[in-house]
Amino acid sequence: MLLSWHSINYRHFCVSTGENQSMDRQEAIEFLMDHYDNPRNKGPLEHADVSVTGGNPGCADVITMQARFDKDGKVEAVNWDGDGCTISSAAASFVTEITRGMTAEEIEQMSFEDLVEQLGRELVMTRPTCATLALGTLKKGVHEYAMHKRAEAAD
Amino acid sequence: MSGTESATSAANDATGYVHPEVLVETSWVAAHLNDSNVRVIEASEDVLLYEVGHLQGALKLDWHVDVQDPITRDFIDQQGFEKLMSRWGISNDTTIVLYGDKNNWYACYTYWLFSMYGNTNMKIMNGGRLKWEAEGRPLTKEIPHFQATTYHAPARNESNRAYRDDVLSGLKDANRRLIDVRSPQEYSGELLHMVNYPQEGAQRGGHIPTAKSIPWAIAANPDGTFKSADELRQIYSGKDIVPNKDVITYCRIGERSAHTWFVLTQLLGYPRVRNYDGSWTEWGNLVRAPIEKP
Repeated sequence: MLLSWHSINYRHFCVSTGENQSMDRQEAIEFLMDHYDNPRNKGPLEHADVSVTGGNPGCADVITMQARFDKDGKVEAVNWDGDGCTISSAAASFVTEITRGMTAEEIEQMSFEDLVEQLGRELVMTRPTCATLALGTLKKGVHEYAMHKRAEAAD
Repeated sequence: MSGTESATSAANDATGYVHPEVLVETSWVAAHLNDSNVRVIEASEDVLLYEVGHLQGALKLDWHVDVQDPITRDFIDQQGFEKLMSRWGISNDTTIVLYGDKNNWYACYTYWLFSMYGNTNMKIMNGGRLKWEAEGRPLTKEIPHFQATTYHAPARNESNRAYRDDVLSGLKDANRRLIDVRSPQEYSGELLHMVNYPQEGAQRGGHIPTAKSIPWAIAANPDGTFKSADELRQIYSGKDIVPNKDVITYCRIGERSAHTWFVLTQLLGYPRVRNYDGSWTEWGNLVRAPIEKP
C-alpha cells in the first residue's frame, strides 16, 4: 500500500466537502501522471520466464508484460511495454512496482478491486478494463508459468 | 473579433452548416491563444489528458468536480455556474472555445450545459485534440491562472433538456422522434454500457420504445471533425429525424447524446431538440417504464 496514491494523503478517508474531494482527486491524478510521464520498468526484459501480450476487444491498447523469477520462485524483475491510453500505461507501470518480489501464486491471487482502489477508484472506475489490463495480462502469463513449473515438478 | 468571425464563417460556408459560427478551426485557435478575450477550455473524457499536455492557456473542465451537483443528480445551479465562470476569469463577453478528446464528445456536452445558462458566446474547436495533435501543434503542462471576474448568468433555461415525464408522455405522439445514440449493443440490450466499461447502472437493457438507433460518433469524420451538413442531413433524415419533429436524444447519462444534440441544433439548425440526460441509467431503472428489446 505504501506505493499507492493513498500514501501521499489519507484525507480521502474523511472527505466531507467538495474542496477536499477535488484536492484528493488532484493528488490521485498527479500520482497516475507520475507513472505515465516516468514509466517504471518499461521496455524488454532479458531472460524472461513470462512474456505475454494482452489487449481488450474494441480498444487500441496493447500491453506486453514480462517477468523473471529467481530461484526462490519470486519475481526478481518485471517489465511492461506497449502502447496504451493514459490509465492503462500508468497502471502497467504501477503493477510492475507492486509485483516485484511476489511469488506466482501471490500474483495470481491479487485482486482487481484492490488495484482499482490503489490507483484511485474515483478516477479509474469509469475505465476499469484499462486500469486492470496490465495486471490481467501478467496474471495470465504467470498462471501459465506456474502450470508449467508444476508439470515439470511432477515429471 | 468581427474580422475573424467572418473569416471563420467563410471557412465553414462550404460545409453548409446552419450556424457555422459555432465552430472554429485549429488554425483559428492557434492564432488566438494569447487573445485575452478568448478562453480555451479542455473538456476530455480521459481525465488525465489535460495533465499529459493541453493547449497553451487552456483550462481544464473536470466533469466530476466542476459542473455536477455533488449531492443531487443534477448540474451546478445558476450561482455555481457564475462562480465557475468567475474562477476561470470568464466574463459575459468572453468567447469560450471548447475542445476535447473523442470527437469533442465532452466539449459538446459542456456546450449543451453552458447554453442552459444563456451563454451564446461558445465555440467548439473542430476536430478537437485529435486534429490538434495530428497537425503537430504544441501542448504544454503549464496551468494558467486568470484573475477572477464577475459573471452574470440568467436562470437556467431548460428548453434544451428533457425529463423522463416528457419522454413518457410523448411516446405515442406522432410528432415525437427519439434518438438512441448509444452503441448498437446497448440499443439491443445486449450490453448496459459501452464495450470495456462497467456493465452497471441499469437494471434492464434495451431501448425506449420507438427510438431510432443512430450512434453519436457517426457524425464525426476519422480526423475528429464533424461531417458536412449534407452527410449529416442524410444520416438523420434517413432515419426520419427531420427538422419539423420534436426530437429527444438520449444515451446512458446524457453526454454522448449532447453531441448529437449539438449536431442537430447547431450544425443542422433543427429548432426543437432536447437532450434527455436521465437517459438509460434512469429509464432502465424505472419501474414499469416500457422498454423495447428485440
